[in-house]
Amino acid sequence: MDFVYQGKCWKFGDNLAVDADLTKKEFATQRETRLEILRDFVMCGIDPDFPKKAKLHDIVVAGRRFAQGNPHIQGLLGLKSLDLGFVCESIPRGSFRNAINAGVPFLTHCWGVTKECETGDDLRVDFAKGVFENLTRGTRKQYEPLPSELLEKIAIGGWEKAVAQRIAQMRVQGLIKPASGAVA
Amino acid sequence: MGQTLTEKILSRVMGRAVKAGETVYPVPDLMTVHDWYVVNFDKALQELGVDTLYDASRVLISTDHEPVATNPASAERQKRVREIVRKYGITQFFDVGRGGLGHIFPMEKGLIRPGMFVLAYDTHVTNYGALGCLGIPMVFEIPEVLACGSVWIRVPETVRVNLTGSLKPGMTIRDVSQKMIVDIGEDNLDYSVVEYSGPSLKDIGFGGRMTLCNNPLEMGAKSALVEIDRWTIDYVKARTNVPFVVEKSDADATFKSIFDYDLGLMEPQVAAPPRPDNVVGVSKVAGTPVHHAFIGSCANGSIEDMREAASILRGRKVHGGVRLFITPATQEIAVQAGTEGLITAFMDAGAVMTAPGCGPCAGGRIAPMAPGENSINTGTRNDPGRLGTTKGSVYLASPLTVAASAVAGEITDPRKYL
Repeated sequence: MDFVYQGKCWKFGDNLAVDADLTKKEFATQRETRLEILRDFVMCGIDPDFPKKAKLHDIVVAGRRFAQGNPHIQGLLGLKSLDLGFVCESIPRGSFRNAINAGVPFLTHCWGVTKECETGDDLRVDFAKGVFENLTRGTRKQYEPLPSELLEKIAIGGWEKAVAQRIAQMRVQGLIKPASGAVA
Repeated sequence: MGQTLTEKILSRVMGRAVKAGETVYPVPDLMTVHDWYVVNFDKALQELGVDTLYDASRVLISTDHEPVATNPASAERQKRVREIVRKYGITQFFDVGRGGLGHIFPMEKGLIRPGMFVLAYDTHVTNYGALGCLGIPMVFEIPEVLACGSVWIRVPETVRVNLTGSLKPGMTIRDVSQKMIVDIGEDNLDYSVVEYSGPSLKDIGFGGRMTLCNNPLEMGAKSALVEIDRWTIDYVKARTNVPFVVEKSDADATFKSIFDYDLGLMEPQVAAPPRPDNVVGVSKVAGTPVHHAFIGSCANGSIEDMREAASILRGRKVHGGVRLFITPATQEIAVQAGTEGLITAFMDAGAVMTAPGCGPCAGGRIAPMAPGENSINTGTRNDPGRLGTTKGSVYLASPLTVAASAVAGEITDPRKYL
């Protein structure tokens, strides 16, 4: 996976709610995880037209407590469905895990990043190295990237693919029984 | 260098000394899943080609989010849950009428003991910290825990909170707890475990300890637990003969931060919409009309909470414009409330009793509010949609403040009824 994303900046404020802002609340209680369904409702609580406007590898920039609320994954899967990355000042633990689970590259604890850009700026972010460049302004900031073991899970494509690999390895080690009916 | 209680618990599970910041894969002593996720984890396991759990004897399932099926689809889901429980050989299954709210009744039944490590499909498993057990929410990755036995976690840092002082009349641990998480703040709480200690701990019982362990995760904490003391030992020994080890944080352990927090608040606290950290003194929102009220949830569904509610409701009537739902969290609490005459007081006041479990707080599937209404309740969260509609306003407060507001028909300082 290429961890360098170049695209347009979409800037938001503090306390975006994972259920009510990032997606439709009903998706959480319905446990909806199909990307083709979630794709049309990304950021719908703030801008219903966002899915039509956002392009591949655009970057969401947000303030403190991005994706706060009950830690449902649907809002983060929505970002994945459009292949977006995000950079934020902080993110609660549940959504931190779910961003990794959804396979979305991100940087967090980037204090002051909302002052480094405006919606519409051209950004280039290297999520593996923590480099945040505003090509419109000609500025560059260095942040702490995610640890390599978590970047690996994102690179694999998120939780489903990572856990499938783990299960396959545990089967080889005899730690998980083959499924009944499985061909040996 | 010494260890925190959390580091000791995870070291015991890992079989080696661990310290904050490490990434580990600890196998929990217990994993809990609630009724709304069982069909989903079965589907996830099927998609992963797994039909045997890593250790079914460590799995506990409770029917608490929707204990009473309210439509044919719910009844069908409950039927599927029973089939799935049999399919995987899960013996610790507590169906409707058998336990109640899964973050509470396992403690009553002696299934949770000090020093245990639990992972759960639900955020409020942190309640087990009331008994010095480390409960960590996992949610989306629970199928991995069920299949592989573990999932990655970073050993968390600990924020130590020494409780001092005493509650003033009209104030409860809920008031203190929701104010405290704001005062300590997200920068301290994020990804950390809160450990309570201090001279005032001895005055706080089961309900208060659960409330203290319930609220911090709304501000980013990974978990919370109470230092194991004489109260803990007596409570657990009265409920199980299974031995447990009493451990505490070492005096030279490294804490992320240490706070002294005085219980002597001057005013009841209300979390106004739209987040649990939007906490204000009750005088700031007093007079707001109330249409819907609820006392219960894993934050405040204990017998102590029922007693506090009854202290206001006994001999009074719920306002004509308010419907008040009361949910004793577990079968045991409901029985005790009946024995003490609390349920009679509630029913005489015009309140509605609902089945033990989460009550309306579980997404408003039971007793929701309507668009345009205001609710005041003792639930865990107040984000839009928590009680069904996204077009209502949800205020969070103590059982005393909720009961007083239900009587007055508007948000009210409970001290006027004491």
